[in-house]
Amino acid sequence: MATGVLPMEIAVYAVPAVTLLLGILIGYLAQRSGFCSIGGFRDYFLFRHTRILSGYLALIVFAFLGYLLFWILTPAAMEHFFWALTSGPFIPVPGAPAGLGPAAYILLAVIPGFLVGFICVLLGGCPIRQAVMTSEGNIRAAFFLLGMAVASPVFAAFVSGWIVLLMKSLGLGA
Amino acid sequence: MVPCSIHDTVRRHAFLLVRHPAFLGAVIGILAALSQSLLISAGGPEAYGFCVACHTRDLVNGVTNILAGSSLALAPISKNAVLPVMSVVGVLIGAYVSARVNREHAVKKGSFRDYLLYFLGGFLVLILAMVFGGCPYRAALRTGYGDIIALLFIVAMALGVVAGTVFMLKRAEREEA
Repeated sequence: MATGVLPMEIAVYAVPAVTLLLGILIGYLAQRSGFCSIGGFRDYFLFRHTRILSGYLALIVFAFLGYLLFWILTPAAMEHFFWALTSGPFIPVPGAPAGLGPAAYILLAVIPGFLVGFICVLLGGCPIRQAVMTSEGNIRAAFFLLGMAVASPVFAAFVSGWIVLLMKSLGLGA
Repeated sequence: MVPCSIHDTVRRHAFLLVRHPAFLGAVIGILAALSQSLLISAGGPEAYGFCVACHTRDLVNGVTNILAGSSLALAPISKNAVLPVMSVVGVLIGAYVSARVNREHAVKKGSFRDYLLYFLGGFLVLILAMVFGGCPYRAALRTGYGDIIALLFIVAMALGVVAGTVFMLKRAEREEA
């Protein structure tokens, strides 16, 4: 069990507060910069523009540098940095449906990845861009967020179980 | 405009920096790591500092659980905390303030068909993102954390974007013809 800087009793109150502040800062800067993961790849493919893509690439690089920095400062909070070295190459960080084998995880990354890219580029932006457009007054983007909200309990109650059953019936369990 | 003092130069560069996507990328990366360093005692998973899909799931399911007494699945960090993660609420507030302050707020309506397509799109994107275990942002955080599966997701997403762009170009050509 990983241990952070704040003890458990304080952290349970800090979670909503810290994530809210972080979100406000990210939302403000995202509205200013037009940050978008999907838009970056699209603009590079269409026009060889790198401005928006640089945001997503910087995110990957600085995520590594940030985790490296805090792994040095607070090693107990970064228990499994660098993940692939501690868990094996094709096992994902917890958060994906659990109890499957490497082949299943590769399938469950590649197929949804392709479809998310395809759908989001048709709708003009990744989830964060849709949230920013909603705040700018775009009603269509608000329906995107509504769709995400309605899908949340559906995923938890049905789809996550179905995916695990499907993968196990294909012989791809752990 | 030629800056006439050091103060002006600093201000102009700060303005350009704030408007550059790479600056925000760096901010999210560092703050997501800081957030994990501070909060991980409340519960996992790791590399979870910022994600639009997972944090929407946590918010909706967490609030539903509190109000309706249900037990929909959500990440341990949101389950253990007094309230689930609030990043998505924050993004909406931050972007709204920015749009208002900079006079870029304008109501844009669409047709009923648009609303239906965007609703379906959002529904599918959340399901697909959760099947993988994160939206494009958490995929980037996980890649930085050393998760090769997340890197595969990003590569596949880039290919999906290319396929979608080609599809749109073809459709536009057909409509012109």
